[in-house]
This record gives sequence, structure tokens and C-alpha cells, in this order.
Amino acid sequence: MRYIAYIFALFAGVALSFEGAIYAELGKNIGKLETSFYNFFMGSIILGLLWIFFGKGKISHVVEAPKWTLLGGALGVVYLTAIVISVPFVGVGITMVAVILGQLLMSMVIEHYGWLGSKKAKINKEKIFAVISMVIALILVN
Amino acid sequence: MSIFMILFTLLGGITLSAQSAINGTFSRKAGTIETTFLTFLTGSMFLAILILFFGQGDIFAIFKAPVWQLSAVFLGVLFLLFNVFAVQKIGVIATSITVITGQLMIGVVIDHFGWFNSLIITLDMKRLLALLFMIIALYFIYKGNKRSHEEATE
Repeated sequence: MRYIAYIFALFAGVALSFEGAIYAELGKNIGKLETSFYNFFMGSIILGLLWIFFGKGKISHVVEAPKWTLLGGALGVVYLTAIVISVPFVGVGITMVAVILGQLLMSMVIEHYGWLGSKKAKINKEKIFAVISMVIALILVN
Repeated sequence: MSIFMILFTLLGGITLSAQSAINGTFSRKAGTIETTFLTFLTGSMFLAILILFFGQGDIFAIFKAPVWQLSAVFLGVLFLLFNVFAVQKIGVIATSITVITGQLMIGVVIDHFGWFNSLIITLDMKRLLALLFMIIALYFIYKGNKRSHEEATE
């Protein structure tokens, strides 16, 4: 069943690419920060509806959870803002490489030490090979 | 200046991984839909403040924007839902690598056809090779994750 999670993650990446390309166009119409705001605002409405009809979890966990676990939204905004600001300075190519490198390195560290409540999983040579292959792919794409 | 920008962007990637990890943790108790909802809700609150102070565009132009551009929000929702779901099952690094692979693969296709007014960059040998390395990366992360998992359960 685990491979289903991989397929979902692959689709998440596909969605992100399409989203990025389309939002670049919307950004020209209404502004970049405004586009991000539109995304988060409309997203809240859609998810609010999804939650009302299909939510099986426990939203009240918000009040009892440690406060740092609520920072997901804020971090997403840092990510978006970083991209929006840096693309005009260094171009899309370098921006994507830098973002992805940051993502890969940080994921390895987080999982190795089991930070931020994630399951602890030691770095092994397969994972290092995977990151190296990703870096080669990134250099070839640009 | 541009070195500073690159470091800043690196920080962007770091926050994205931190977000995946934090959301994964929160969703174990609160549920996938609930976590995604909360992320969008708090994100829009922060952005509302940012726009008030730094917004240079025109938010009301949304009502004049073409519908196909506005429909990208459904993709944003799918991305976060799938992401939260996958982190719970396979962990942060496997999710990151798989998401990036999906992103780059379709990115190459979008460039090739020049969809959505993007620059046309045709699929050449170099980019085909890049796709191959992405598949190799996926294979290794799957292997490596399986091994960590087996070691953990032994």
C-alpha cells in the first residue's frame, strides 16, 4: 500500500508545476502577493467545505496541540515570498535549484534527527545516492 | 546581492521541508483535511497582513481575471492534501524527492509545448538524461526508505 503514497506525492508535484505556470499568468494580472493571497484564501474556502462534508479528524486539536505545530501556514508563506522575491533577481532556473536543494538537505536532516515530530529514519547510502541523482538531474534540466 | 538572494531562496526550500514535517506531525492527531484547512487559513491571514503593507498589485482585478487562471487554486489544494497524506505514510525525504520529480517531469513537458504562455524549451538529450536521473533518484529513495523501515522494525 505504501506505493500509493508515492503516486500521490508524484501527483502533488505535477499539480504544483501546473499551478506555478498558471499563477505566473495570474500574477501579471493582479500582482504576485495578491496571487498568493488568492490561493490561500480560496483554498481555505474549498477546504472549509471539504472539512464540513468529509472531515473525519479532530479540528479542536488546534487548541491543545503545541503551538509550533500550527506554523505550517506561516512557513508556506515564507516559501512563496522567497520565490516571488528572488525570481526577478536570479531567474527561475537558479531559484528552483536553490529551493530544491534547501528542501532536500533539510528533509535529510529533519528525518535523520527526527526533528519537528517526524519519524526518525537514519540517512543511508541509498538516500545519499538519491539526492546526488536529483542534483545531477537539476543541473541537466537547467 | 544575488548571493544573498540565492541564500534567501535556499531558506525558502528549508521552510517548505519544515512545513511538510510539521504538517505531518499535526495531521497524525488532527487528520489530513483538517491540517490542510488550517494551513490555508493561517496562510491567508499572514498574507492579508503582507498585502496591506507591501501589496503593489490590485486584488480586485481577480473579478476580471480569466477563469482558467483562477482554477489553479484547485491544484494548490490538491498539492497540499496529497503532500500531508504522503508525509504520514512515507516520511519527509521520500515525499520531497517524489514531489520534486513530479514537478520537474511536468515542468519539462510544459516547457516543451510552451503551455500557459511559458517560454518554449524543447526536450533535448540533456533533459531526457535529467528525466532518467530523476527516475534513478526515485528508485534509490524507495530502496533507502524500505531499508530504514526494515531496520527500525527489526
